[in-house]
Amino acid sequence: MSWAAHDLEPYAIQRHLGGKVAIVPLLIGSYSPDMLSKWFVYGIDVLGIELKADDPVQFHRGWPGVGFTHSLAFGLVVAGLILLLTKSRVWSLSFLLGHWAHALTDVGDTIGTMLAFPFSTETFGIGAWAYAGQTDRLTDAGAYFSGLGFVWDGVWILYGLLAWRILTRDYFRETIVPADPFWGWIGRWVPEAALLALYRASFFYGTTRWVAWLIWAHLLNDYPFDLSWGGPDWVPAAHD
Amino acid sequence: MSTLALYVVVGVVYVALGVIWPNLLLSWVEGAAFLLLGVWILPLVVRRRP
Repeated sequence: MSWAAHDLEPYAIQRHLGGKVAIVPLLIGSYSPDMLSKWFVYGIDVLGIELKADDPVQFHRGWPGVGFTHSLAFGLVVAGLILLLTKSRVWSLSFLLGHWAHALTDVGDTIGTMLAFPFSTETFGIGAWAYAGQTDRLTDAGAYFSGLGFVWDGVWILYGLLAWRILTRDYFRETIVPADPFWGWIGRWVPEAALLALYRASFFYGTTRWVAWLIWAHLLNDYPFDLSWGGPDWVPAAHD
Repeated sequence: MSTLALYVVVGVVYVALGVIWPNLLLSWVEGAAFLLLGVWILPLVVRRRP
């Protein structure tokens, strides 16, 4: 899993493809694999009753479970449905690219993703950083921001800052708005300053939480850095 | 430049609050709402004050 790359990668795709893609479905696609399942991985408390998967790793990435949401085929199916319902190739393609970016990014952890589902339930992973979603959220954050995961996110932050023009008002007006009728529609009620904030929101969210979690993990707490492959070693990483 | 400064200030405040209350960092909706509040609604309110 990744804590900030899913917020940031859509902006990199946007930069490369310009008006051929739209940022809203890119972001929805990028968030979609975890959208309905992540809360059940970590668990939530409802009126004193804890709702949590018995086997969070199996539930999140496996089969049986909802690991199919991280497969390339799932992105294709949903993108096909979007095309069918909206007749928008831009929305369909954008969703697909955002979804695939997420599925491929999560290949970086020690579990990986079932990319070839439903043809295979094998998970593909390179094991660069520890998957620790089976622990609690804060331990997972401490581990992620101590290993190579946060470095991977940092690459996307750096990339976004170097490509800062995509965050400007001019780029928004000339590329983002013409590519997607959504902005014209919502712009009937909301002024441009708010639209710009919405457009930049995921970049803002990804970047600021990356900084905040690093400070939290290493200045407020004492989680040790461990940039070894598959680290940090101090967390009980889940493996396939 | 003033817009960039505004975003930076809002970002610094969000980071500071997030470090103190990490749960604030867990919700995209809250993050986006915080940004909207900081760069759109609050400046609007300040400008409209007599």
